[in-house]
Amino acid sequence: MEKPIIELQHVYKKYDDQYALKDISFKLNEGEFYTLLGPSGCGKTTILRSIAGFTEVTSGKVFFDGKEINNLPANKRKLNTVFQDYALFPNMNVYENVAFGLVVAGVAKEEIKDRVHNALKMVQLEKYVDREISELSGGQQQRIAIARAIINEPKVLLLDEPLSALDAKLRKDMQYELRDLQQRLGITFLFVTHDQEEALAMSDKIFVMNQGQILQQGTPVDIYDEPINHFVADFIGESNIIKGKMIKDYLISFLGHEFECADAGMQPNEPVEVVIRPEDLVITSSQKGKLQVKVDTQLFRGDYYEIVAVDDQGNEWLIHSTNPTKDDAMVGLTFGPSDMHVMRYNESESKFNNRLGTYED
Amino acid sequence: MVKGTTSKMGKMYLVLVFLLLYIPIVFLIIYSFNQGTTMDKFTGWSMVHYQELFSDKRLLAIFLNTILIALLSSVFSTFVGTMGALLVDNAKRRRTKETYLYLNSILLVSPDVIIGASFLIFFTALGLPLGFWSVLLSHIAFEIPIVVLMVLPRLNEMSSSMVNAARDLGASNWQTMSQIVIPFIQPGIIAGFFMAITYSLDDFAVTFFVTGNGFTTLSVEIYSRARQGISLEINALSGIMFIFSLILVTVYYFIENRSQGKRKVMEA
Amino acid sequence: MTKQLKALFYTPYFVWLGLFVIAPVGLIVYYSFFNINHQLTLANYQTFFGSGTYLIMTANSVLYAFLITLIALLISYPMAYYISKLKHRDFWILLVILPTWINLLLKAYAFIGLLSQDGLVNKCFELFGFGPQQILFTNTSFILVAAYIEIPFMILPIYNSLTDISSSYIRASHDLGATTWQTIQKIIIPMTLPGVKSGVQIVFIPSLSLFMLSRLIGGNKVITLGTAVEEHFLTTMNWGMGSTIGVVLIISMVVVMALTNTKKKRRQTIW
Repeated sequence: MEKPIIELQHVYKKYDDQYALKDISFKLNEGEFYTLLGPSGCGKTTILRSIAGFTEVTSGKVFFDGKEINNLPANKRKLNTVFQDYALFPNMNVYENVAFGLVVAGVAKEEIKDRVHNALKMVQLEKYVDREISELSGGQQQRIAIARAIINEPKVLLLDEPLSALDAKLRKDMQYELRDLQQRLGITFLFVTHDQEEALAMSDKIFVMNQGQILQQGTPVDIYDEPINHFVADFIGESNIIKGKMIKDYLISFLGHEFECADAGMQPNEPVEVVIRPEDLVITSSQKGKLQVKVDTQLFRGDYYEIVAVDDQGNEWLIHSTNPTKDDAMVGLTFGPSDMHVMRYNESESKFNNRLGTYED
Repeated sequence: MVKGTTSKMGKMYLVLVFLLLYIPIVFLIIYSFNQGTTMDKFTGWSMVHYQELFSDKRLLAIFLNTILIALLSSVFSTFVGTMGALLVDNAKRRRTKETYLYLNSILLVSPDVIIGASFLIFFTALGLPLGFWSVLLSHIAFEIPIVVLMVLPRLNEMSSSMVNAARDLGASNWQTMSQIVIPFIQPGIIAGFFMAITYSLDDFAVTFFVTGNGFTTLSVEIYSRARQGISLEINALSGIMFIFSLILVTVYYFIENRSQGKRKVMEA
Repeated sequence: MTKQLKALFYTPYFVWLGLFVIAPVGLIVYYSFFNINHQLTLANYQTFFGSGTYLIMTANSVLYAFLITLIALLISYPMAYYISKLKHRDFWILLVILPTWINLLLKAYAFIGLLSQDGLVNKCFELFGFGPQQILFTNTSFILVAAYIEIPFMILPIYNSLTDISSSYIRASHDLGATTWQTIQKIIIPMTLPGVKSGVQIVFIPSLSLFMLSRLIGGNKVITLGTAVEEHFLTTMNWGMGSTIGVVLIISMVVVMALTNTKKKRRQTIW
C-alpha cells in the first residue's frame, strides 16, 4: 500500500446552518491525476479550499504527507493552487508573478532567475518573461498561473476549474497539456471541474460529488460504464435511464419485455433503473428491434447523428447513429446484454463495489 | 444611453445651464481684475487687488493654515480610512459589515451644523482648547468616512483568490498586505486622499463651530469678510483658489487616467 | 498576523468610530436635556414643541429644503439626460463637477455682488424695463442660490444612473415602436429613480441647515433650523436648546434617509 500524500478523514464543513461537506473521506496517492467532479455548489471547491487552507473544516481531519494540517495556515502548506480566475497579480509582470513564491521565501536572486526560467519553459512561455499580465491572452494567463503555482515545487497541485474561462478549442489543447505537465512533473494533481468530458479525458481517478457528498469514485471507464445511481449516470455522459424490475440474476424486465443482462446480486423482483448509453443503441428495422420507437427529431453532430425517438409508452430515447434515418419513421432498437447497466436505488458505494466484485472478473 | 444624439433644444438647454453654472464664477474672477472697489462697475483692468492680497500677511497666513490643515488631515484620514475599509471588507458576517457601513456613513449624511455643534460639545467636554488642533481633529474625523467609501469599491473588486494566491505561495500577512493588497487598492487610496483634501478645503460649517478666536481657515475668513460687504481682495483670492482647484483636478485626473489606462488594457 | 496585531491595526478606526461618531451624537442627545443653567430638564423639548416659533421654523426649513431640492431636480434631470447623450460626456460632466471645487463661500459671495442693488442681475432687469429690485436678502434669492449650489450634486447621481442604462434598452424600446418621449417616460425615468433618490438625499439634508447662506444671501430674514442651531451654540450660548434642535434635525435626517432609502452615500460620486 502506497503512503497517501493527501488524506481526508470524515471531513464536515458547515456554513451557517447548511453542510457544504458531509463526511468526506479519501486518500490521494503521489503522482496521480485526480478529479473532483460535480455540479456547481456540490462542495468540490470547498474540498480544495480546505486542503489549500483557505477555509477551516468544521470537523474531521486533513492530512498532508502523513501529518495533520488542520491548523496549519495556507502560507505554511507545501502545496499550491491554480485559481479559476488565475488570480495573477495585476501590479506585477510575468516574471514578478512567477517569482513571487520564491521572493517571499527569500530565495537568492540568481536562483530565482533560473527557476522562473525553468517554470516558464515548462509552460512554453519563456519568451513572455517581461510582459505585463494585461498583455497576455486568457490561455497565456492560464499558463502563467500554472508556472507560478509550480515554482515552489509542491508535491500536490490543486486546480480550481482552471479551464472554465477558456474557449472550447483552447480548453481541449490545455487538457492535453495539463495531463502532459502532470506526467512530466510527476506530482499529484487535484483538479476540480463541473465538465464531465474534461474529467473523463484527463483523470486517473474521478470523485463524483453531489450535495456535499462523494457519490462514487473510480477510474473514468468504471464510472462511465458502471455508474452507481441515476445522478451519476445522468451527470456523466448522455444516457437513457428506464425504470425496470430485476426478475432474477442476469434477467431484467422493462417496458413490458424481459431482457438478458450482465448484472446480478439483487433481490428477486427488486425495482431498479437501467442505463443504456446512446452509442450502444443500434437502429434496425421495426421487426428486428427489441424495442419499437418512432423517430422524433434528428440532429447532425458531425461525426454522428443524434436521434431522439419515442416509444409507445412515451419515453424518450436518445440514440447516436452513424447513419441518418427518416423523421417519423417507426424503427427498431437493439442492444446487447452488456450494453445495459442496472442500478439499485440508494445503494451505498461500498455495497455497490462488493456486489460488482461478486460477479465481475 | 445612446451617445451623440442630442437635439437642438437639448444643446440650447445645455448651453443655458452651463452659462448659469459658470457666470457667477467668471463674474467673480473678472471683477478681481477691476480697478475699482465694487462688483457693480467695471472701471478697467488692474492687478491691484492681487497685489493687495499678496501683501496681506494675515490672509496669507490663513491660506497656509488652510493648506496645512487640508494636507495633514488628508494624510491622517487616508491612513485611518484605508484601515477602516479593510476592516469593513474583512467583516465576515453581512450584518457586521452593514453595521460598520451604517456607522461609517453617519458623518457623511449628517448636516454640517450638527457635526460642528456636536464636535464643539465634544471638545469642550474633553477640555481641549479650540484652535488648530480641534480644527485638525474635526477635519480628520469628517474625512475618514469618505476615504473608506473611496477605498471599498477597489477592495470589493479584488477577488478573494488574489489574497489566497499570495498566501498559497507562502506570503506572510504583512507580505500579502504590502505587495498585493495595497498596490491593488492604491487608486482608491489616492482618490480618497484627494477627496479628503477637497472636503477639507470646502468645509466651512464644521470649522466655524470648532475654531476658536485665534485660528481661522479661508472659508471662515471669507465668511466674516463677506458679511461686512464686498471686498475685491476676496475676488482675487477666489481667482487664486480657482487656479489651485484646476491644478488639483488636473493632477488627480492625470494619476487616475494612468492607473485606469492599465486596467483598460487588461479588460481588452 | 496574530489576533492582537490585527486588533492593533484596526484600533485607529475604532477610536474614530467611538470618539467622533458615537460620542458626539450621544453628547448632543445628552445636552438636549439640559437648560442654560445646566439643569436636567425637558424644558427644551417643551419649548420646541410648545411654542409656535420653533414649529413654524421647522415647517419653513422643510419647505425651503423641499423647494431647493425641487428646483435643483427640475434643472438637473434634463441636464444630466442631455449630457449623458453627448459624445464627450466625460469631459462635460467634468465641467459640471468643476464648480463644486470652488469654495461654497466664494460662490455665495459672488451672488452678493450679482444680486445687489446695482448688481448685474438688476442691470439686466433694467434692460427689460423693470426698475431695480431688492433681490438680495429675500427668501427667493436664498432658495435660488442654494439651488444653484446644489445643482451639480443633483446632476451627478442622476448622470451616473443614466450612463448605467445600457443603450440596448433604449434601442429595444424604439425597436418596439416607442417614441422618444415614451421611452423617456417608461424606460429611462423608472430606471434612473435610484439616482434621483440619492440626488434628493444629497441635496435635501444639507439644505435643511445651510446657515451660512441664509446669513449671507437671506440676510437675517430667513431663519432655518440650521441658523437656529448656530445661533444657540455660538451667539446665545444656549447649548441645550441648540442640541434639542439638533436632535430634531437628526431625526428628520433619518426620516429622509428612510424615505429615499437607497445608497447612503454623499457626494462621493464626484469622481
